[in-house]
Amino acid sequence: MAGKSGRTISATPEKSWKKMIFGWEGILILIFIAINIYFSIVSPSYQFANILREMPKYLTEVFLLLPMVYILVLGEIDISVGAIVCLSATMSCMASNNGMPFPAVALVCILVGTACGIVNGIVLINFTELPPMIVTLATQIIFRGIAEIALGSGGSISLSNADGFRSIAGKVGNLVPYIFFLVVIAAIIYGVVLAKTTFGRNIYAIGSNRIAAFYAGVHVQKIRLICYTLLGFMSGIAALFLTSVLYGANTTTGNGFEMDAIAMAVFGGVSNIGGKGRMPGAIISAFIIMCLRIGLGQRNTNPQVILLILGALLILSVLLPNISASLNLKKKTVK
Amino acid sequence: MKENKSILKKITGSREASLIIVLIILCIVIQFRSPSFLTLKSILDMLKNNANTMILTLGMLGVLLIGGIDISIASTLAFSGMSVGMLLKYGIISNTFLLFVIAISIGVLCGLLVGLVISRGKVLPIIATMGFMYIYRAMAYLIGNSQWASAENLGDFKNFALGKVLGLNNVIWIVIICYAIFFIVMKWTKTGRKVYAVGSNMEAAQISGINVKNIQLLVYTVMGTLAGLCGALTTAVYSSAQPNMAYAKEMDVIAACVIGGVSMSGGRGSVGGALLGSLILAIIAKALPLVGIDSIAQNTVKGVIILVVIVLNVLTQRAMDKNNLKGREM
Amino acid sequence: MSEYVLELKGITKIFPGVKALNNVHFQLKKGEIHALMGENGAGKSTFIKVITGVHKAEEGEMFLNGQKVDFKGPRDSQNAGIAAVYQHPTSYPDLTVTENIFMGHEMMKNGIIQWKKMNDEATKLLKQLNADFKATEEVGALSVAQQQMVEIAKALSTNAEIVILDEPTASLTKNESEELYRIVEKLAADGVSVIFISHRFEDMYRLASRVTVFRDSQYIGTYNVDEITNADLIKAMVGREINDLFPKPEVTLGEEVLKVEGLSRLGYYKNVSFHVRAGEIIGLTGLVGAGRTEVVESVCGLTRADEGSVYLDGAKVTIKQPSDAMKQGIILLPEDRQKEGLIMSWGLGRNVTLPVISTYAKHGFTDEKKEQQIAKQLLEEVDTKAVSIFDAATTLSGGNQQKVVVAKALAQNMKVVIMDEPTKGVDVGAKAEIYQIMGDLAQKGYAIILISSEMPEILGMADRIIVMCNGKVTGELNRQEATQEGILELAMEKSK
Repeated sequence: MAGKSGRTISATPEKSWKKMIFGWEGILILIFIAINIYFSIVSPSYQFANILREMPKYLTEVFLLLPMVYILVLGEIDISVGAIVCLSATMSCMASNNGMPFPAVALVCILVGTACGIVNGIVLINFTELPPMIVTLATQIIFRGIAEIALGSGGSISLSNADGFRSIAGKVGNLVPYIFFLVVIAAIIYGVVLAKTTFGRNIYAIGSNRIAAFYAGVHVQKIRLICYTLLGFMSGIAALFLTSVLYGANTTTGNGFEMDAIAMAVFGGVSNIGGKGRMPGAIISAFIIMCLRIGLGQRNTNPQVILLILGALLILSVLLPNISASLNLKKKTVK
Repeated sequence: MKENKSILKKITGSREASLIIVLIILCIVIQFRSPSFLTLKSILDMLKNNANTMILTLGMLGVLLIGGIDISIASTLAFSGMSVGMLLKYGIISNTFLLFVIAISIGVLCGLLVGLVISRGKVLPIIATMGFMYIYRAMAYLIGNSQWASAENLGDFKNFALGKVLGLNNVIWIVIICYAIFFIVMKWTKTGRKVYAVGSNMEAAQISGINVKNIQLLVYTVMGTLAGLCGALTTAVYSSAQPNMAYAKEMDVIAACVIGGVSMSGGRGSVGGALLGSLILAIIAKALPLVGIDSIAQNTVKGVIILVVIVLNVLTQRAMDKNNLKGREM
Repeated sequence: MSEYVLELKGITKIFPGVKALNNVHFQLKKGEIHALMGENGAGKSTFIKVITGVHKAEEGEMFLNGQKVDFKGPRDSQNAGIAAVYQHPTSYPDLTVTENIFMGHEMMKNGIIQWKKMNDEATKLLKQLNADFKATEEVGALSVAQQQMVEIAKALSTNAEIVILDEPTASLTKNESEELYRIVEKLAADGVSVIFISHRFEDMYRLASRVTVFRDSQYIGTYNVDEITNADLIKAMVGREINDLFPKPEVTLGEEVLKVEGLSRLGYYKNVSFHVRAGEIIGLTGLVGAGRTEVVESVCGLTRADEGSVYLDGAKVTIKQPSDAMKQGIILLPEDRQKEGLIMSWGLGRNVTLPVISTYAKHGFTDEKKEQQIAKQLLEEVDTKAVSIFDAATTLSGGNQQKVVVAKALAQNMKVVIMDEPTKGVDVGAKAEIYQIMGDLAQKGYAIILISSEMPEILGMADRIIVMCNGKVTGELNRQEATQEGILELAMEKSK
């Protein structure tokens, strides 16, 4: 029955780098360059070495961003990550103060995070009727609540011996912090998995049309569980590095991290409707926001201004494409 | 089997009835453990201290009914509260009534902006309100320029929360008035019906000529208005205005709605449910120390309760569906 | 004053990429029941939405009682006395019957809704319709037929002069249909003009005095029901003799491939058994809601059956999810292409290869080159009208979308292909192509299950026809012995 009409269908793809340069990622790169030029002109201390020194604080959030992109591409949301970071950090500090060796402490930190992620995932795949927003709202309160109980009336804990944590906060050549390399490696892994593997393709399929993906044989619930678990796992890692900067934890540790991670992803072109967005965009956006924070911080700008800019960026990055799309549509119908 | 169905239906069908039962059991248990609980004074205190959650729950009811969400409300509250605080602190305005008008106006504008971005800009509610959560919170900080307003700054304004009309605290009056207005609007006016219609089946609402965008705009504006009002109320009740006030309050409010049976996907929920949901949450917070649970465990208990409630919802719904299927003759 | 209560002239409605209505006309007399007929996708539903102001036509004029009108939105048409009951109930599932009936035109007094009065009025309306449910019940808990009744009550409550019913009998049993006929006749007797859309001839003969036929978005003609023969009407609707439409090849049947035995799922179907042989096309039919789709969904692992077993090539198989079914060689091509069959925002190629990516992947990494090659080959094989395999599925017409869905099945090594309403919303030309593909597949030795509500399709393509009614198999007919009447009788068994 082959092609009675003899019609041929092209199978030559558009180059993906072209799509990126002329797409949202291209705009993000321009913004990134512009911001860096601006700060290096107006601020004498905006230098490479200084930026690297201030980075670790902000890089911890990138650990959360990576799996959060998966969750958002799935068309879902997880607002419990900040609380997971808090609980993991608290538990690792307690483990350390109880005299555990550092490798065991690190393991505790990561396992606690992973366990929290699994809890989210298991509730969500067993009760698919529930929106992830409300489930993670509840677990957010629970996870932070457990940390509050563990921390007791003081509400905070300090490391009595921070040697182990100091060792991961070290720097290569006294310049580039370890965490930078780790973030880069993690970002590459997460990016490649999303773009190049069957797992990544399935994530996009679920986010674009969950039902059609299920009909096509995608293991929807298994993939959701894995994604939530990954988010928990990375929250554990983030908590570990956060503790290595803060030497302790308290009830407000990780406050707002979930929002920051989601904001970075959305600004990076990842849509919470699902099925849209790529890892490079999210990572560039993370670095833009990091540079903004460092640059404005050096200029002694009120840190709240950064929140203001972040909020505006978040809304505009979704609003502007929507407006231009609806204008285009109007033009078309008029024609 | 038929009887079984009707019993199940009665319990789950009237969400309010089951919530009232929960509330009564809760009260009895607590009263048993701590006789000081059910005194008029302690109840009134509780209402006064939870006034802002109770009022915000109403606005959130509207937002959730149309299938939306608003997590910017705590920031709006802080923005309006700080505005009031700063106006008093620098002695620009000291008239209590005028200050309330200003606080509410700020809320209206904040809500209107949120509503415009969501209804006209077609930005997802969670993303849009997350953005405004940052922006309004930043405004709260910036307007105070790292200052805050303490009790002595607030002058006469804080007396509003102490004043009484007909023997009842002003703050409680405001809560009652808000609930009365909402109850009437949601049940007995066309506008209320439209909100339910949009949430239950947006496409059908459009086909039947309801302007969905305007309903969205309205709901978010009302939410902002109430948040603005609560900014002034909170400042008066706690005699202080700080830029980080009501941090994460939106989560409490959403939780109250969910406990009160408001569906996150829209179309389901009532003013009575919102009232009961916020009352249950308030009583739990108040009662935990009374029954010997350390106040430190409060949040954990709260979270577990939310989780249990939503899971129970799903389970009863599944049981009901199964019962309906059994009823199908073949 | 004009002879017609409603008259439309030269209506053209364009959607991005499609002309949904092309210069169509329509005239409705006062108090008449006017049938509007045409195949799926002929433009009937779009036409209704133009009348009710939901869509705005690009060209054409509309007259109400001789006056030119220009509806800006649904509100305008409601105010002008037009009420529509849409094909898919547009009710509010979370609200009560009363709330549904009066949504948008509540009874008010001093700005306050009069609930008691409305409840009474709703009860009265329901009584008029012989409804077996209460005005205070939640609509979501009602059956489809009952929801339909709520919609009709809604139309009645507006005291409309023109009532439009879009496929109201599609999901009703015979008794319920009779009830509906009675209601419609009563309406007409009261002077209301009714537009009745259906593709059941029975409805038309029973009710209508005149019939207007659309085909491929165009106006074909208006006829007096008494004066037109069945064959002429079919010709007007389909545009050709029915015989050339179904190229059913002669196939020597092979071994039994799939056997379903005693399958039951609470509330959906009960004790369903059937089998298919290689090269055989079996038709699975029945009214909407008879449980046809639900049975095959369980066979393919989308849902779980409570009892019963599925055998493939004589061996019992356990299928827990769609991927298991595909591994065994059973695929379901679902009815709703846009929601279940395709990822509309994706390119065609990726849609075709989604079920098989892991087959070609190396260590979990996708092999895009290979995938593209396969997608190209398969899409050409089914003769998809597309420029590139990277075209989004949204850019294709219904028929071509269906071909992409079929290509999905060809991408894998399948034994049983289940097609659920494969020609729904497909234009006539593409329909013939899909039947051709179906025939080719059978010739290649695939076992095919065709689920369809369209009688000609079932009669034309199937070797054997299995009829379901209310969750049970009520009969099985051979190709030779099957007639439209015979099938309908089995499909409505319960209500006898």
